[in-house]
Amino acid sequence: MESPDTFTLLPLEMDPSTKAVTATHSNSALDSELAALNSLHRNLLAAGTHTGTPPPPVPVNPTRSAQISKLRESGNNEFRKGHHSQAVKLYTLAIDMALGRPSWEPSGLVREEVSGLLSNRAQANMAQQNWAEGAVDAEASVEMKKVANAKGWWRRGKCLLEMGRLEEAENWVKQGLEFEATEQDLVQLKAEIEKKKGV
Amino acid sequence: MWPFDAVDWLMLLVPIAYLFILVGSLYTFSSIYRKRTAAKAASLEPWFPQHTQRNIYLSLLHMESPKCPDSILKAALLRRASEDITRIMAIRNAKQALQALLQKGSVGDDLWQRFQRAEKEIEEELRDVVSEANAFVPNWGQTIFQSASEMLQNSQIRERVNDILATSDAEKEWWEKRRAEIKTDFMRELDEEKAGIRSPTTDGSVTGSMAGSVAGSVAGSVAGSVGDDAVFVEGGGPAEKSSKKKRRAKH
Repeated sequence: MESPDTFTLLPLEMDPSTKAVTATHSNSALDSELAALNSLHRNLLAAGTHTGTPPPPVPVNPTRSAQISKLRESGNNEFRKGHHSQAVKLYTLAIDMALGRPSWEPSGLVREEVSGLLSNRAQANMAQQNWAEGAVDAEASVEMKKVANAKGWWRRGKCLLEMGRLEEAENWVKQGLEFEATEQDLVQLKAEIEKKKGV
Repeated sequence: MWPFDAVDWLMLLVPIAYLFILVGSLYTFSSIYRKRTAAKAASLEPWFPQHTQRNIYLSLLHMESPKCPDSILKAALLRRASEDITRIMAIRNAKQALQALLQKGSVGDDLWQRFQRAEKEIEEELRDVVSEANAFVPNWGQTIFQSASEMLQNSQIRERVNDILATSDAEKEWWEKRRAEIKTDFMRELDEEKAGIRSPTTDGSVTGSMAGSVAGSVAGSVAGSVGDDAVFVEGGGPAEKSSKKKRRAKH
């Protein structure tokens, strides 16, 4: 970094109509940074706060939360009716919406929402015997929220077991038990895997 | 009157010259030493690479025609604040380890100097960002780093989720292939049995082990296509099994 009172003047220019900033001499690192800047700028304008700065992380704009929970509810309903592929579609929409939250909103909230939705989608995939998709969804769900996500741990373990990847399933469930040692389902799943391996 | 002629000027010159030489040499030494250390510190490699976000922000701030609108400058300042947060986190994480290493003598003094310089710079940088933010909107300085840190974490979690979800297609493909393989293996085995290549006793052991590894995993899918349920592998002796399978293979 340069000393506090100097800086490197970069060859930038701005399109007066679109307000997009570009570099006159292209260079990939600078270009990707400028792309991030432009998209942040658009998001800030879209947020439409009167000061033009992002609002403080809390309280959260309630509209999006309401939409997400509505989509999740209808997904759950479809799942209960047995329309699993429809449920997957609704969950996917909800996940996209949760991931599309403005980036200055609390990341903990995004984690919570996305983890729950991914876990539900994993279940809907498992109900259709799409073990591969189920395994990936459950893995992502656990990545978002490791603690108190026993369902996510169990679902990936189950999917791996169903695909016959016993070694991976065993490691996964062991790891899950480190977080959720008392979870009955996980303990059972572990016993099941060990039985299969023993045969 | 003080007797000037009683003073031996020549002899007095000796202590004065002594003092002069002493102070002079100390001064020269210290100035040369300081110049050298300053030069050395300046020539040390900086801890962090160039601060692109800061350069962008300041370049935009100095843009003359057309003047850069405030909204872009605010966005650029936010980007700069997020980068500062990654840097301060890096500094904090490195500090303890570096101190321990320095005490043990595992790392040189150079590294420590570079580190301290980086620490000072980043403090200066944070103050600068806060004052810039307050200049745009009163009191923004209090929340800018909060927003920036959420932005940073949000981008990290999105990256991780997308990385994991991107493996979905490959996994799916692998599983389709694997399922097809298992299915053909299964069918071939059934055909072989039908042709009576294996004796009933070996047949029992082979199907038993295969059933253990595979039947559980593909039971649903294979059973669906073959038209019978896969429970047969769990119960019954070899003879019963083979008769069942023959019957099934005729379907």
